[in-house]
Amino acid sequence: MNPPLISVQNLTVEIKTGRGLLKAIRGVSFDVNPGDAIGIVGESGSGKSITLKAILDLLPTNARVTGGKIFINGQDVSALKPKARRALLSENCAMIFQDAIAALNPVIKIGDQIAEVPRYRLGKSEEESKNIALTLMAKVGITDGESRYDLYPHQLSGGLRQRVAIAIALSGDPKILFCDEPTTALDVTIQAQVLRLLKELRENSGLGIVFVTHDLAVVNELCDDIKVMYAGKLVETGTVENVFTRPTHPYTFSLLKAAPDPDKAVHRLFTISGEAPNLTQPVTACPFAPRCFAASDQCQSSEPELLPMAQSMSACFHSENHVNWASEDSQKSVAR
Amino acid sequence: MKSSKTLYVGAGMLGLLALVAIFAPLISHYDPTEQDLMNTLLGPSIHHWVGTDPLGRDVFTRLIYGARVDLAIGLSAVILPYIIGVCLGLLSAWKGGKTDSFIMRIVDTFLAFPFYVLAIALVFIFGPGIKSIIVAITLGGWVAYCRIVRSNVLVAKEQDYIHAARLTGLPDRRILFRHMLPNVISQSIVFAMSDIVLSILAIVSLGYLGLGVPVPTAEWGSMIQEGQPYITQQWWLATVPGLMVVYVGLSLSLIGDGLVARLER
Repeated sequence: MNPPLISVQNLTVEIKTGRGLLKAIRGVSFDVNPGDAIGIVGESGSGKSITLKAILDLLPTNARVTGGKIFINGQDVSALKPKARRALLSENCAMIFQDAIAALNPVIKIGDQIAEVPRYRLGKSEEESKNIALTLMAKVGITDGESRYDLYPHQLSGGLRQRVAIAIALSGDPKILFCDEPTTALDVTIQAQVLRLLKELRENSGLGIVFVTHDLAVVNELCDDIKVMYAGKLVETGTVENVFTRPTHPYTFSLLKAAPDPDKAVHRLFTISGEAPNLTQPVTACPFAPRCFAASDQCQSSEPELLPMAQSMSACFHSENHVNWASEDSQKSVAR
Repeated sequence: MKSSKTLYVGAGMLGLLALVAIFAPLISHYDPTEQDLMNTLLGPSIHHWVGTDPLGRDVFTRLIYGARVDLAIGLSAVILPYIIGVCLGLLSAWKGGKTDSFIMRIVDTFLAFPFYVLAIALVFIFGPGIKSIIVAITLGGWVAYCRIVRSNVLVAKEQDYIHAARLTGLPDRRILFRHMLPNVISQSIVFAMSDIVLSILAIVSLGYLGLGVPVPTAEWGSMIQEGQPYITQQWWLATVPGLMVVYVGLSLSLIGDGLVARLER
């Protein structure tokens, strides 16, 4: 059997901050296979973007991988020299960013930016590279590529910029596309267009997608699997269908409850009160306990591990009880 | 709108002076080094617009020939340190780690000396002359560019477009010179404008100290020095060359201001 395309094993990342060492990732493991569509969700600071950056070797200088292993095609990247690691990464992975204008070079024409990888990495001729770029532009839905080839990023609309960024990402023919909230900065119609494009790319060319977001609806739309992150750990993983219909971690349960339902008129949206824990301090209890409706004494004394449930995996002492949460919780809300 | 006006006014002022310097032989029929001992220390008149100096040389002619020397050295004394500083700054910030520490310690060493002390010592070692002035200013001047570019690269390095370029597996060379360089040099270009003023000042100061361009070549610094003993009677001898320095300084800082607004979004 082939090894997974990417395998992250017990990854830990620490960030040096003014207030001490922040344990941003505290042991995250997962595999990505060709054709997978994985959504990683969590609130700001949960470590979802840092996980992506750690895999892609793009961590800021004050952050460091302090433990765990990352395998690409079965090769341990920590054993590779920087050059070989980058070659391996760029052969298999590409990334699109939240803010397309920041991810495009302001002083290079968009066509040239798309043609750059074919020209300078794959060693194609100038003519060929330009044709590849035009094909890619058509593929990501940039009409009239010939005349837009010579435009600069600031001359394009937000949606087009993100399409250009996707075209650049595809120019190296990657197997997995990492997406760091690529639709967050776009308005909803453009967001829908970009999602449709990603979906098409996935269906037509078997492109794997790892999608980091805090938008559950987007994950539901695009992904097969979901991983919920909280305080630098995965707290629930499983197929989108299972996790969305039967959440087995109180955090996921509350997140789903907080998402607005267009069929129900509500006076006020549900919120999860409190905030995420300070990760510069050692974690001794379940980090979600202070905000959790199901928390008990056990949750204060130790941190639960991510363990397999019937359909999904969950890191909660009370996950067996999940079938009762809906009724318990509604009683509580009434009592309040 | 206002910024481009500043830019154009500054460029116009400097361009005018450059034209006058280039066409100096057409503007004045005097020789800048020819002495006329019968007509020394004359006041301004129709024949001698700024009078004559103690050796009877026409001061106006010497001023415009001096512009050739001062502008040429000023510019060439910025180009070399600019190239050296920008390259080392790029390298330093991009490589980081030991390379960065090594280059920055060299920078610190140069910064430990006041610029003029360093320049005077170097000119003294190499002997007065245009070449040694340029070498001295280059050795003292590259550190500023190095630091400016380094700090800009450190910021740009964490930008998504550099991350994106790195991830697509482009060669380092390509990323550095095509993606990074155009986005990090604007500040250093602006600084170069004011640095030309500084190097012209340095040339003038060295000339004043007798370490500049050898006599009898016309040069503003040595003209100020030569005019100084006559400051109470023939005040224009030292004052007008000084005003020329002010004029060049003003035009360059106008250009610099205009460029700031243009290049820095």
